[in-house]
Amino acid sequence: MLEPVKNNWRILLLVVVVIGATVALFAPQFGPQTAPGENASEAQQGVTNLQYGLDLAGGTRVRAPLLGYTATEVDFDGDQPDDVARAVADELDGVSARDVGAVAEENAVEVTDASVSESEFRAAMDASGYAYEDVRSGVTQETRDVAQSIITGKINEAGLSGGSVQQVQSLTGEYFILVEVPGEDRSDVIELLEERGTVQIDIAYPTENGTAIQEEVLIQDHFEDIGTAAQSDQGTGAYVPVTVRNTAPEGEQSPAHGFQQAVADRGFAEAYSSNQDRCDYGENPDDVSKPCLLLTVDGEVVNSFGMDSDLAQSMASGSWATDGGFRLTTSEFSQAQTISINLRAGALPAELDISGQGTSRSISATQGENYKNYSLVTGLLAVFAVAGMVFLRYREPAVALPMIVTALAEVYALLGIAALLSYPLELAVIAGFIAVVGTGVDDLVIIADEVMSEGEVNSRKVFNSRFRRAFWVIGAAAATTIIAMSPLMVLSLGDLSGFAIFTILGVLIGVLITRPAYGDILRRLLTIR
Amino acid sequence: MIATEVPEVNYTEYSNRQLVAIPLAVLVLALAIIGGWYLVTGAPANLGLEFTGGVELRIADDGDDVEQQIETAFDRQPDSVRSIPADDVYVVTFRAADEDPEGLANDLSAQADEAGLSTNAIDQVSPSFASDTARTAIFGVALAFLGMSVLVFALFRTFVPSIAVVASAFSDLVVPVAVMNLLGIQMTLGTIAALLMIIGYSVDSDILLNNSVLRRTGEFYESVHRAMRTGVTMTLTSMAAMIVMAIVASLFGVDLLRNIGIILSVGLCADLMNTYLLNVSLLRWYKFEGVKR
Repeated sequence: MLEPVKNNWRILLLVVVVIGATVALFAPQFGPQTAPGENASEAQQGVTNLQYGLDLAGGTRVRAPLLGYTATEVDFDGDQPDDVARAVADELDGVSARDVGAVAEENAVEVTDASVSESEFRAAMDASGYAYEDVRSGVTQETRDVAQSIITGKINEAGLSGGSVQQVQSLTGEYFILVEVPGEDRSDVIELLEERGTVQIDIAYPTENGTAIQEEVLIQDHFEDIGTAAQSDQGTGAYVPVTVRNTAPEGEQSPAHGFQQAVADRGFAEAYSSNQDRCDYGENPDDVSKPCLLLTVDGEVVNSFGMDSDLAQSMASGSWATDGGFRLTTSEFSQAQTISINLRAGALPAELDISGQGTSRSISATQGENYKNYSLVTGLLAVFAVAGMVFLRYREPAVALPMIVTALAEVYALLGIAALLSYPLELAVIAGFIAVVGTGVDDLVIIADEVMSEGEVNSRKVFNSRFRRAFWVIGAAAATTIIAMSPLMVLSLGDLSGFAIFTILGVLIGVLITRPAYGDILRRLLTIR
Repeated sequence: MIATEVPEVNYTEYSNRQLVAIPLAVLVLALAIIGGWYLVTGAPANLGLEFTGGVELRIADDGDDVEQQIETAFDRQPDSVRSIPADDVYVVTFRAADEDPEGLANDLSAQADEAGLSTNAIDQVSPSFASDTARTAIFGVALAFLGMSVLVFALFRTFVPSIAVVASAFSDLVVPVAVMNLLGIQMTLGTIAALLMIIGYSVDSDILLNNSVLRRTGEFYESVHRAMRTGVTMTLTSMAAMIVMAIVASLFGVDLLRNIGIILSVGLCADLMNTYLLNVSLLRWYKFEGVKR
């Protein structure tokens, strides 16, 4: 009973792999991941579970560095990062504290104002008195991570499915942000990346005719410093610590004084005399009983809050403006993050230099569709060419036909892997498939020639020894191909990593599964007669 | 049973010197072409967009004299305009401008829109990124070649047969680059991939030959002929696939596949020559004279 299984396990393994690939390609469980607000059938492109990349589905890819300079191995001297950042910012003309960041974990200080040159930053670092090792271009890991999550958030908010944001490093150690958005054209994507949400603070106050709103009590420009979102120490909720600027050109009121005045005028101190007093904007926005601060993002009120009585008193007495600090509270941490992000200059913590050092690629959906068809036709014709050559050489269907079937099974298994990994197919990956057919058939030729050399194959033993001899060459050839392709897999050379990955995978499947199976098929066809 | 037989070459009629002369002459010629290219243009090959920086637009050909419109639509003179009839598009390339690298893609796409041209695809590569890519690519090819050489030496553990494989792989890389220069094909990422693939492909037939001669019993010429029968079939099969791919892809304007096809076809041709002239003669010298010393 087990004997046939044992004798033909190589063929059976190939059959299992082909069935596995079929499942991965067609079973709905392995379907592509859906974006928020998208159902499974929308995410599916065509009848298979295959995902198509930019080249074949259309879309835009942008790769650009974040502008800035970072001083490395800075000795903080026991000072708080905020103080360090402020000290460095003070040495830079016209650069606000929010464009300088100090990250204690990385021992790094960065400047993200694009107008600061490397030498200016070096001079400022020297003047600030903090020892540092070197200055490199680019920003800190923390800033890159923030930028990545902001861009991811933007893409998700815009409801674009299948978008991805990655950090990639070039050979010279520079970091780039790589953004891919399928189905969108270049201008839309760049607009999305450069767009900046507007955040402002309004005051809602009670009048005889219901709620009235005093708009733009505070706007983005009014903030001197914007902290990162933090979880609130008591209870749920989160907050963003901010400082309102207390400087202004001659003869003008500073934003801190303006805000203090407005708060005092609307009677916050009287309304919030004890800690029990709460803003009721949330319950009846049209008829508030007390003045409230409204936090609006892109014209939409995201949170309303009253004021701590101490804070309200200090504003009424006019002493608050010198310090100018308070906290913007929100109910959710993610909201606090968005606010912190939107309040900073531009939506990103540093400028994404798309037009200067950036690289972008955009392909329309029709062009993508064309590429898909053309590469299919090209691939098929290449396979026919191989098949033609093989038939011409052997004129023996028993040798040639299994050869072509095996080579195709290899590509089919690769497609299954692509579906399983949700690896987007690109032109480069298709080229990898064609390369796999090429090398695959090469090796099958080696097996066939070796096995049929030196007369008839009449016993299993003869077959096996010849097959093993052929396999040495195939193994050596496969190893060289893998070695030759592996640099491409890791170097950042655009699409070519996909090409390398699939060529290597193809070679591995070939050596481990399909070529031994071809050997078994050939043995059956040649020895049993 | 074997219908289309690979012709047998009678190696005994030629001396090693005669056999080596042709591949060496081709290699020297190829190196001279590349060197000359470097002296004249400052680069060893015609560098494509990915290595120089610039903008490439694919503009749909809707029938009304698009070529004329392209001539007038842009403020800058395009560096090249290529028509791809099968895909109904024109590919318009602008090299990166030293004086204004900023916003080039934006300007060009706006100008195309203004002129009523519909753009199917835009590629923008910044010059600094491009030079970085070029460095990475050279590094990648060098690393792959080095890795292959180390592996070949580890496999055969004898100097002459190993160096024969490495030398013919080197020539297989150099000859396609020279041919690319002559045919005016640009060096792109696709051609880099093809060059790496040549390293993988071309070594196959060399390993087959060395294996047949060194590790198998039998007389030298018999071993060579046996390896040749298989090796030539392999190479011709791969070449057939690549030639078809190059032709079909260039009709459709899928540049990446076309470039890979052309480079590999040329590389495999060079490989036929290098394996069965250069490698065979080195092996013969090693077998009949080298071993005795």
